[in-house]
Amino acid sequence: MRYLYHSSGNLPKHEFSVDMNCEGCAEAVSRVLNKLGGVQFNIDLPNKKVYIESEHSTDTLLTTLNKTGKTVCYIGPK
Amino acid sequence: TQETVININGMTCNSCVQSIEGVISKKPGVKSIHVSLANSTGTVEYDPLLTSPETLREAIEDMGFDAVLPD
Ligand SMILES: [Cu+2]
Ligand SMILES: [Cu+2]
Repeated sequence: MRYLYHSSGNLPKHEFSVDMNCEGCAEAVSRVLNKLGGVQFNIDLPNKKVYIESEHSTDTLLTTLNKTGKTVCYIGPK
Repeated sequence: TQETVININGMTCNSCVQSIEGVISKKPGVKSIHVSLANSTGTVEYDPLLTSPETLREAIEDMGFDAVLPD
């Protein structure tokens, strides 16, 4: 999957685990994050991880990921 | 009780089906939902006083899928 090399450096980075099983699940996650906006993210499908760089609070990010109906856990800052 | 069939694109596996059924069945006014991966549809029984096909369609969109009401 796509990896972000152009990290802006100063945005907080968060690691989440999201129960995704295939590309389609990852696509649904991408869509909810793109709808929120103001996020740069990288999805690691094999490890079921989502890395997000954003100004949004952890709560906002968690609420957004929860919209997918998938099991989501906040791992911590990265 | 009324029934609506919503076309859902972007579902690729059974966990998508379970996610949608899990989230939508908890929405106000929803009596039952059956999602078919093979047909790309969600069949919802709902109380028209509490919800509408458009509200349900938006709720599915919010989950990261493409949802379209039949004409
Ligand atoms: Cu999947
Ligand atoms: Cu899926």
